[in-house]
Amino acid sequence: MNLEKVVFGFFVVLAATLNFGFFIGDIDNPDLHNPYELFAAVVVNLIATVLKFGDRTQIGAVHLATSLVADLQLIGAALLFGYATYVSTAGMNESWTASVVSLSGGALLANIVSVVLLVVETVSFHRG
Amino acid sequence: MGNPLLTFWEHLFDGDDERHQRRAVLRVAAASASQASATIFLILRRMRTPLIVLIVIFAVSVLGLTVIPGQDLAGEPSRMGFFDAFYFMSYTASTIGFGELPYPFTYSQRMWVTISIYLTVIGWAYAIGSLLALLQDRAFRSALALQHFSRKVSRLREPFVLVAGYGRTGELLGHSLDALGRRIVVVDKDDERIDGLELDSYRGDVPGLAADARDPGHLAVAGLDHPACEAVVALTDDEEANLVIVMAAALLRPELPVIARVTSRALAERMQAFGNPNLVNPFDRFGDHLRLALRAPASYQLLTWLESGPGGELSDRGAPPRDGRWIICGYGRLGRELTADLRAEGLDVTVIDDHPEDVDDPGLLVGDGSDPWLLAQADLDRAVGLVAGTDNDTTNLSLVAAARRSRPSLFLVARQNRPASAPLFAAMDIDALLVPSEVIAHEVYAQLSTPLLWRFLREMPALGDAWAAGVIDSLTTVCGTRLQALWKVRLNASEAPALVGLLASTPVRLGDLLRNPENRAEPLHAVALLVLRDGDATLAPDEDFVLAAGDELLLAGRPGARRALDTSLFVPSVLEYVVHGRRVPASWIWRKLTRTPVAGADVRR
Repeated sequence: MNLEKVVFGFFVVLAATLNFGFFIGDIDNPDLHNPYELFAAVVVNLIATVLKFGDRTQIGAVHLATSLVADLQLIGAALLFGYATYVSTAGMNESWTASVVSLSGGALLANIVSVVLLVVETVSFHRG
Repeated sequence: MGNPLLTFWEHLFDGDDERHQRRAVLRVAAASASQASATIFLILRRMRTPLIVLIVIFAVSVLGLTVIPGQDLAGEPSRMGFFDAFYFMSYTASTIGFGELPYPFTYSQRMWVTISIYLTVIGWAYAIGSLLALLQDRAFRSALALQHFSRKVSRLREPFVLVAGYGRTGELLGHSLDALGRRIVVVDKDDERIDGLELDSYRGDVPGLAADARDPGHLAVAGLDHPACEAVVALTDDEEANLVIVMAAALLRPELPVIARVTSRALAERMQAFGNPNLVNPFDRFGDHLRLALRAPASYQLLTWLESGPGGELSDRGAPPRDGRWIICGYGRLGRELTADLRAEGLDVTVIDDHPEDVDDPGLLVGDGSDPWLLAQADLDRAVGLVAGTDNDTTNLSLVAAARRSRPSLFLVARQNRPASAPLFAAMDIDALLVPSEVIAHEVYAQLSTPLLWRFLREMPALGDAWAAGVIDSLTTVCGTRLQALWKVRLNASEAPALVGLLASTPVRLGDLLRNPENRAEPLHAVALLVLRDGDATLAPDEDFVLAAGDELLLAGRPGARRALDTSLFVPSVLEYVVHGRRVPASWIWRKLTRTPVAGADVRR
């Protein structure tokens, strides 16, 4: 067992699950989408991205690309969330919530691709 | 026969062959470039831990701030939002510190902030420290240097010479070529030599790579596969490395001229097996020069002057004794060459060496040459010349001093091995000094500067001493004892449009062309050294030589003369004045008004 692989798999899967946790629920109901979960998703995604630095294989490059997409979308969602809370006069209403959640939904797709890549990599790994 | 499909197929095959070779070179270069990017990936990997530590510390601090309850101005309980917390942590962690926003903190918040300040400072210090350590990393820096170098080389658009081995010889050659306005790219395995490039006063930018030239990948990065590479010069002091460079150049770019330094015959044979490299053996060349000096001092003087490159001083014409007995001290590579050369000239030779390898030589004395007793035994008093040719400068200097004290009229030849000894040898005022690095640099320069100079130098000795003395006289009247510009003109439509137009109607003598455009009564300060017509060379053509279109001229003279000649070659009205002494109008309107047809005007348009 390779500890590096464990950590890597852990963060990739955790990024996807946190993202999913934030995304699930009615898209326009702010009560169903916890900002702490979004925060955790952003942080874990960033860590997963850094873990993917410096891998020279083709699959490593795609891994990094999906992570960068997820980061972009999640940070976008966080920025929107901040704007809705602090700047917008309307506050966190249905339309803002829907925007934030849909952005995180995009990130979720990228994270799923990442997990699929992880699974593919594991399955195609031949022992011996 | 004549099957178009077959021809096509053959054609395809030929092209394929070429492409195959090209691809091989590209692969070599790519391997070396990917080696550089591999290092950068490794560096990125090493930044993983500091970055993750930084992210985690930030996340924990921000999360803590949002969770810990605070108070607003009215004393009501309130919590910080993520944005406020992130904002606060950003300016606190970077030690900017705007104060407690948006409301003054409660004690529980302040306790948490205290902890997180220490955490973030450690995180930043760690991350920045690792980054700086990476920038100092040798592997990283050499990878960056390699990338920088390969980018510089691939952007070169002018033809350049690839010089492998940048020792004293490479430096001399580089400066001579640079003075001609040629570009060079340098590979040497010594870091200090490459760093020294930056301090050297080159006019052009000289890309330098500190790497082992025996690796074909490094040669490829240095421009072996570059279309603008015009020649490869192998000048390392390791003969085996030179062989590898010759091999790489011959196999990867067979069409490129290769010049290599070699001193051993066995390696020279092995190099000859790869293409047809020009080999420069300093000892062999010096032997040839000495023979030439014995036979024709003026030819030798002209040869060394032209080989020394722009700015070279005319040396004194020595008068080596033509008959008599020579003593050669040191029977190494130089000693053997000189012994053979002098004996071929019909001279008597006595050899002194302390550890001779083969003792079957008739005139060999064993012992230390600087020993006065041994010199006496070698019958120094009746010798005419002495060669101090050991590979030790101290021995050579003391040999020269001892020989001169017992017989001041002796013709002295010495070999200087280390550049540092140059002032000592100069102070000794030796009749013929061999500096191997200079011999090689001059020889390679003569081959690379222009093919016409090389041709001139090879054919010149056959014309005799008196002829050479005449050429030296005409050169010194034109440009003094310091060699000025050497340049080549091809009389074709692009380099001499006006003259080609005129040649179509009237014959032009060389003496008429080389006149001052301001006042044709004055000759131009330039001498034609050689005219090449259809592969036949005419050396030092006289004034009555009739030029023809397509001739190639090698000229020596002042830079001003070069500009004046260019004007004559390009501007029809100037040429008309220079050749015929007629002032003709230069502008189209005046020409129409005065109805003077000007030869060459059509070609220009």
